[in-house]
Amino acid sequence: MFRSFLVSGALAVAAVAVTPAYAQQTVTVGAIEILSGPSAAYGTAIKAGLELALDEINAAGGVLGGKKVALIVEDSAGNKDQAVNAARKLIGRDKVPVIIGPTLSNEMFAVGPVTNERKVVTVGTSTTAVGITAMGPYIFRTSLPESDVVPVTLKTAKEKFGVKTIAMMYANDDAFSKSGFDSMKAAAEKLGLTIATIEAFGSKDSDFSAQLTKIKALNVDAITVSALVEPISGVVLQARQLGIPASVRFIGGNGANSPKLGEIAGEAAEGLMVGSPWFVDKKDALNDKFVADFRKKYSKDPDQFAAQAYDTMHIVAKAIDKAGAAESDKIRETLLKTNHTGAMGPFTFTEGRDPASTEGVVVLGMKGGKFQIIQ
Amino acid sequence: MAEWLDDFLFTYENLIHALGIHGLLALSMYCVMALGQLSLGQAAFMGLGAYTGALLTLKLGLPFWLVLPISALVPALVALVIGGPTLRLNGVYLAISTIALGEVLRVLYINAESLTGGALGLSGIPQKASLWLVYGLLAVCIAGFWAIGRSRIGRAMEAMREDEMAAGVMGVNLPLYKLGALIASAMLAGLAGSLAAHSNSFIGPNEYGFEAAVTILSFALLGGIGTPIAPVIGAFVLTALPELLRPLADFRLVFNGLIIVLAVLFLPRGIVPFRLRRAP
Repeated sequence: MFRSFLVSGALAVAAVAVTPAYAQQTVTVGAIEILSGPSAAYGTAIKAGLELALDEINAAGGVLGGKKVALIVEDSAGNKDQAVNAARKLIGRDKVPVIIGPTLSNEMFAVGPVTNERKVVTVGTSTTAVGITAMGPYIFRTSLPESDVVPVTLKTAKEKFGVKTIAMMYANDDAFSKSGFDSMKAAAEKLGLTIATIEAFGSKDSDFSAQLTKIKALNVDAITVSALVEPISGVVLQARQLGIPASVRFIGGNGANSPKLGEIAGEAAEGLMVGSPWFVDKKDALNDKFVADFRKKYSKDPDQFAAQAYDTMHIVAKAIDKAGAAESDKIRETLLKTNHTGAMGPFTFTEGRDPASTEGVVVLGMKGGKFQIIQ
Repeated sequence: MAEWLDDFLFTYENLIHALGIHGLLALSMYCVMALGQLSLGQAAFMGLGAYTGALLTLKLGLPFWLVLPISALVPALVALVIGGPTLRLNGVYLAISTIALGEVLRVLYINAESLTGGALGLSGIPQKASLWLVYGLLAVCIAGFWAIGRSRIGRAMEAMREDEMAAGVMGVNLPLYKLGALIASAMLAGLAGSLAAHSNSFIGPNEYGFEAAVTILSFALLGGIGTPIAPVIGAFVLTALPELLRPLADFRLVFNGLIIVLAVLFLPRGIVPFRLRRAP
């Protein structure tokens, strides 16, 4: 067993020795994603999107007058300590000027202070919680925070379907669901919707009948749910079993934006609405090209995370090219002036380093177990 | 050369901190296991220490030298209160009741939103745990346990581990030793939790649940409990392994698991199977 330490230690030393020479013809960008464990689906989708964009960038001649872009993707296994270790390794050993990721907001809250202190640009592609970019001037994100997507969804529900009174449900034990709920509540209050009740549950609960029975008696127009896809499916299924009519629509947060919902909840989910920064069938020349290329390379459909990662890689490569050098400070400056049009639509950053435009947001409705754009 | 060393330290700073902190956690597990007790409350005590420390620093701005002892004291008080009823239990029953403590605290952190930040946890905790502090504490604790282990108390502890009833008949004050060990282990875990919070800058309510409890238990199981240094080595191995294997990329966790399985199969008494030597 000790021999294997020695071997891996030797490998590590070899990696240190090799990197500097290698870096002269290439610009190395780091990424931290979840590639193993229960949430690996997100990380692998992001990696696929990044690598597709990387191929295109290098085929088109790379950056900084012909330098290739190399990408080192480190696994965080969904664990914030491992995410921090990966970030430290990318900065200390690989000397990357830019880090893409990490995948989860929780991981970002641990990684952000470290990378920001070392002045390394960090671009989250899938971190939607409140307060991410407030950590420091080197922290960016290309994913629309929930607080930008949810108002669009609720507005559509109000205008298209005449929703006036809502009941709100959320999982109160994970950061993603709680932060999504906070955004939903703020948006609902701003739109002047009447909130009949707010009910919380645990993200590993399987029985929601107490909350739903109470909601049934209140005769609401719609029920909002902020949670991950498994509990949402359970809520939707039990609501129909308890006899809440199909005319009462469900409105989901980002967690509901998953094809799995249709698979688990089937007919019960009919009519469920969710806002998405991107949709596979969105008609747009750049999006069509992205979807076609993705299908060709991986023989499967891309998801929202792959699309966000794909655009981010292009945005970062452009910023490096314009900066004139692979230096974090210069890249930060050009990144702030980003003006890119990709699969998700036109993209610029706000002064707070969040995405500026919500133009790309589409509202989807569940029909026959699949999402469709609500026109 | 200096720059290279600087980069090296930066790369592994977090890991080096984690090694020391996990070493302290392993010692807190050793402290109860040395008496033959199976407590899974270590993660809960760690969480108490982490939240206490983080809140004192963030909300009250107390200096770190004051924060640290208080975050060891709060878990100790909780251990004193719950020790009475739970220590009447044995073996698996004690394990289950201590798991319950972790769950109760988790729900408390989630619902006491105005204080603990709820599911979002507490972020922006300043980094105050220096390398010297972590390893200094670890060294002091190992030395302390070594001295205790060689004393009369250590002999009583070992007697309890081998046969509780016989030890009781020989005049060992069982309840006193058990409560003492639980309080000491809670203090150590709380200390480790507070150090972890002040080196990581972020804590959340789901970090101190069942999974963390089992991880801490596995430090002691892998290392062995014959000497105080053994669980610490177990913690070092289990913490460093995923990072040392990073060059293996996709196969990293497979090898990690494989090495642990082999160690458990071929070293059933732990990596360091020796016992403390004692003057006759």
